[in-house]
Amino acid sequence: MLQLERKKEENKDILRLIGEVDASNSILLDQSIQEILEQGATVLLIDGTELEYISSAGLGVFMSYLDDFSERGIRFAIFGLNEQVNEVFKILGLDRLIAIAPDLSTATRLTHES
Amino acid sequence: MIKTSALPLGRISLLLAIVVWLALVLVDLVRIFGMINNLDSGIAEEVTWILEILFFIFVYLVYRHVFWKTRQSDFLTLIWRGVSTGLFAASAGLLTELIYYALGESKIGTDPFLKNVFYHINFAWTSAFLIATTLLWKHLILYQKNKQVVNQWQVFEFSMAGALFFVFFNHNNLDYSFLFGLVILLVISILLAANLKWIPYLNFKEKWKTLLFLFLILLCAGVLFYRVLDSGNEGRVQINLTDNLFLMALFGFVFVYGLFSFLVTLFNLPTSSVFEQKLTEAINFQKLSQSIQPEESEEQVLDILLDSCISASFSDGAWIELNPKEQVQIKNPLRILDESTRTELTKLIPQEKQSWVYTSAAEIPQPLTIRLIHPNYKSALLVPLVVNKSILARIVLIKEVKEGFNKEMLSIIGTFARQACISVENHRLLNQAIENERYQEELKIAQRVQKALLPLKLDHPDSFDICAYSNTADEVGGDYYDTYQVDENHFVLIMGDVSGKGTSAAFHMAQMKGVFQSLIQLDLRPAEFMKKANAALSKCLERNHFITASIFEIDVVNHTFCHARAGHIPTLWYKATENKAEFISVEGLGLGIVRNLSYKNHVQEKTFEYHSGDILVLLTDGILEGRNETGEQFGNDRLKKIVEAHPQKNPIHLQQEIIDSLHQFVGGDGMIDDDYSLLVVKFK
Repeated sequence: MLQLERKKEENKDILRLIGEVDASNSILLDQSIQEILEQGATVLLIDGTELEYISSAGLGVFMSYLDDFSERGIRFAIFGLNEQVNEVFKILGLDRLIAIAPDLSTATRLTHES
Repeated sequence: MIKTSALPLGRISLLLAIVVWLALVLVDLVRIFGMINNLDSGIAEEVTWILEILFFIFVYLVYRHVFWKTRQSDFLTLIWRGVSTGLFAASAGLLTELIYYALGESKIGTDPFLKNVFYHINFAWTSAFLIATTLLWKHLILYQKNKQVVNQWQVFEFSMAGALFFVFFNHNNLDYSFLFGLVILLVISILLAANLKWIPYLNFKEKWKTLLFLFLILLCAGVLFYRVLDSGNEGRVQINLTDNLFLMALFGFVFVYGLFSFLVTLFNLPTSSVFEQKLTEAINFQKLSQSIQPEESEEQVLDILLDSCISASFSDGAWIELNPKEQVQIKNPLRILDESTRTELTKLIPQEKQSWVYTSAAEIPQPLTIRLIHPNYKSALLVPLVVNKSILARIVLIKEVKEGFNKEMLSIIGTFARQACISVENHRLLNQAIENERYQEELKIAQRVQKALLPLKLDHPDSFDICAYSNTADEVGGDYYDTYQVDENHFVLIMGDVSGKGTSAAFHMAQMKGVFQSLIQLDLRPAEFMKKANAALSKCLERNHFITASIFEIDVVNHTFCHARAGHIPTLWYKATENKAEFISVEGLGLGIVRNLSYKNHVQEKTFEYHSGDILVLLTDGILEGRNETGEQFGNDRLKKIVEAHPQKNPIHLQQEIIDSLHQFVGGDGMIDDDYSLLVVKFK
């Protein structure tokens, strides 16, 4: 089960993932990010505080947008991941490509810096 | 049994009946001769009675046989049989009248012997007619059998059998006992005459024919009865065969049931269209429910439905509208009306009623009546056809009268619609099942092909043992492992995992094998191997797919292995000297994530020295991510503990231990929703 909640704060689009992202629902995540991009976002933050699990298919969604983000100059960060999910990002090496922050304020700061 | 049924019972009975009749004629003539000449003929009147009874029995057997042979015929054929016998009997009687009228008072005209021969002929025909008609009535009465009717009929039959022998008791007198018996039998006849359930099954035309036939039977019965009375009164016959309770009761029964049938058929005439309508509806309903045959299509079902609805409601026009989203086409969607009238009428139906979506999912839309304001057409009925929670089509029925659709029509049309929807749904499910079956077959082939992509035999020297295991979440999966012997001292182990699972993962797995098998020939160092693999796979993987891989190059002479990891689950290394297992930490990004030359910054290799008794466990994330019913993952620590607990085991047993523990952990309610693979190496 995956629930997606979108919210806009100042210039930031925050997408909150609640539950699990796996092969069956990764398409929903993909659609949400696509929509946010189409609406001309400049800063996209993924709130992973309530993300319990992410499968490789879910990681594939983030990965597929990395080039888009850099081309369009969109600043992107993920924050609030629990230890297990964080480990998944680290093992794959995505932590080297995506800004991963412990909380919202750190994530905001990271995206400001870049 | 077979022998008796092979005997021509009908013919034997007929023959016997004729013989008995001849004997009867002979005996009676002798008796008359005796009476006229005041001689004792030496033949008691009982002989006549016995012969008469035998004659009745044989005639009964003849007709029973005839009706048995024709029991499957329709009512009209059966009734005609009664009519024809009656006409014969009546014309025989009239012919006799005619002959005597012609003969006048001549000598032959008054000859008692000739008169008696004619009397016997008429008696025979009358008996045959009465018995045939009684058997015909029996067939009609017992058309819709139940226990009560059968019992009633049996009572009647027993009483008639009693009446047959009544003559011995009352000696052919018309006394009170005779009247009493007759009244009882007539009452039973009247009771039986209430069983007229065959009549509604006749259609309008058949009813008219039946009326004619019944009229003829009644007429014949009347004529014959009159003649019997006449001959009795005239006293020109010295031997009376017809003042017999059995024969009189038969007259009564034939007449009563014939009259009742005639009247009921007559009064049923005006309502027969209703019954016919109901029967048509039942047949239509059956057609609708049977139209699930694979060779029939949804269009045919809708076609039958449209026609059934029109006939059930006597509509003056109708059409069927198909939901534009559905892929059904119907050749002739319009009935009775023309296209312009239809457009005109469509405009008169409120827009919201024509919507293809229905708001409340719980409520299936029902047939809906609408008043039309139109010079010719006054009312409409919308019948939505709901298949699989969406409206497949809508039938619009139009009538020229106001409020032309009554409650019964709504209910029967609603039933038709539901049945048709069930048919369509079944048809679709059946097709789906066939399609699924085909996919299953295809997947089985894919599974076999994919299994062949994994090595049957793992290359390894005597200095280490190795075994591997792989299982897929679906029929096919995205895990891969392989071994390769570079030279006599160098062996390569490789394990890969495609993101996602199922068919797409399986295709990428096949690509991965191709890339790995090609690159491995180049004798590359592990980090270089990953760089080249990344470049190659970047060209063929879909944008949101990636592959993780681990590679080990083992040098069995120097007891070292060089390892690079591309985003893959770290390998567990049990060190025999320390009695401890730990995950090898080497940085490395998955393949296909960064699709340019900068990948070289994201991968590294490290060389380690191993010792005898060391164990390497390469695995994919499916093992660590297997979850029990509380959602807890199998995790690194459990795996570590298992290996540390069983370092002495050979690879195949250790591997089994890990798989068993995983299954035990996951349990019946948990899940391993991913492909999972293991490669266990133990150095000697």
